[in-house]
Amino acid sequence: MKFYGVQVEDRERVGNYIVLRYRWQGPIEPGQFVMARANGYPVTLDPFLARPFSFYDHDGEVASLLFEVRGRGTALLDHTSRMEVSAPLGQGFRIDAAAGPSALLGGGVGVAPLKVLSRRLGEVGIPHDVFLGFANAATAKVAREFPGAGVATMDGSVGTHGTVLDAVPDLHGYPAVYACGPNPMLAAVKREASERSLCQLSVEERMGCGNGSCNGCAVPVRNGGYVRSCIEGPVFSAEVLAW
Amino acid sequence: MRERTVGEKLAVELCGIPLKTPLIPASGTLAKEALGEVEGVYGAILPKTTTPLPRTGNPPPRVAETPAGMVNSIGLQNPGVEQFIKELDAFDLGLPIFVSVAGDTVEAFGALCERLSEDGRISAIELNLSCPNVECGGLTFCASPASVEEVVVACRVAVPGKPIFTKLTYEGVVENALAAEASGADALTVMNTIPALTIDAHRRAVLVRGGLSGPAIKPVALRAVYEVARAVSVPIIGSGGVMSGLDIAEFMLAGASAVQIGTASFVRDPEAILHEFVSYLDGVGLGAADLTGDLRGIRG
Repeated sequence: MKFYGVQVEDRERVGNYIVLRYRWQGPIEPGQFVMARANGYPVTLDPFLARPFSFYDHDGEVASLLFEVRGRGTALLDHTSRMEVSAPLGQGFRIDAAAGPSALLGGGVGVAPLKVLSRRLGEVGIPHDVFLGFANAATAKVAREFPGAGVATMDGSVGTHGTVLDAVPDLHGYPAVYACGPNPMLAAVKREASERSLCQLSVEERMGCGNGSCNGCAVPVRNGGYVRSCIEGPVFSAEVLAW
Repeated sequence: MRERTVGEKLAVELCGIPLKTPLIPASGTLAKEALGEVEGVYGAILPKTTTPLPRTGNPPPRVAETPAGMVNSIGLQNPGVEQFIKELDAFDLGLPIFVSVAGDTVEAFGALCERLSEDGRISAIELNLSCPNVECGGLTFCASPASVEEVVVACRVAVPGKPIFTKLTYEGVVENALAAEASGADALTVMNTIPALTIDAHRRAVLVRGGLSGPAIKPVALRAVYEVARAVSVPIIGSGGVMSGLDIAEFMLAGASAVQIGTASFVRDPEAILHEFVSYLDGVGLGAADLTGDLRGIRG
């Protein structure tokens, strides 16, 4: 895997989350991801692997990632001034201008790819609503980055009390649905969305390499077997997935 | 004397097959989608292990990170040998192609080899004798010299015209290497991943039960190569935790004629590893082919 050394431009704390910005030119499609880590070999062998992150934002010059410190990999990313990143990877969200009004649903740190997606939909004139679900107020702070979004929290401290689906008045009425978050949330979105809708889900799976080689990020598909989240995904049409 | 070019310094030969560099991707670590990243790095291409029938592989989670390594339990996911043959042209980079095969039985190994023996695109066959779900039971296929012999003999008969490499597991590696050599193997790949386990203490559950790879296993693999090299006369392909150019040199000094790069390619650019190896060769004033077994002052 080719990694590129980049300078961390800045970090912003948004509640429990961190927005990390770094200089990156070149195209990024909404829903694509990057493998990132604070230091490569031989500076650190633990953590050993890079981590996959959806792009949170990109203005053509500066890209950003949204993450929560959960383990050693993310803890180091919270402090490093240089990091290693791969080029944009994977299949992002497909935008069908003919699909009509769209619902964008994000759960937790899975809200990340919706910012670029929302902007792209706006550019091509597709009306859309954003709905975000969080565990609590500390993680829900990032909702301020999505003006007009409907918000739900599991503890009821902000917005609707419940899951992101509880914040959506009528998911069935949207001809296009885009979602990113924990896999159980995505399974629920798939159940609730209209079967006629264009429903795309960005899945979460452990990754080894990020370039299709290790077959570690297996996603079960409806006709049996597995596909790779990093190459065939991470965004899949809902009907393709087994769950 | 004329200074050798980089290409001349890197060239090695393996079972009569000229390789532009001594590096080979370990099976299951280089997807066709990633071939564009490794141009000029490898001396041969070795796609993921193929089996007689399609295998869906194991349910996730399949990979877990460990200090200086990772544990994987992919389960030999692959589309089966017939589809493999149809897709093989995608791996044509103008380099020799080595094909890794695994079967559940001795007969399956033999049949796979027979199916591939006449394919002119294939330069050699590597027998994966450590597949996870097989006749002999357990993670390791053929941990005993008797079963290694059975498989190698069956494959030797099925592929009279191509070199056969035998990829051995750590357990009993010297005895198994001797058995493979005596049964007609042309080269030995030493070694595969080591059985390992990761546990998620928070969920109180097994995370991944599989094989450990990465730099954590390098000293173990080096010792295996060293011991096998002193016991056999066929060439050895070193494998296990190679992360850098110096690691390549170490494996070759221990006795390897070529070296596989696997897990390292997930976290490093293999081209950078090759450049490090070239720097090492320049520093010692040797070519890659000179390194094999060229240890000075051997201890124990």
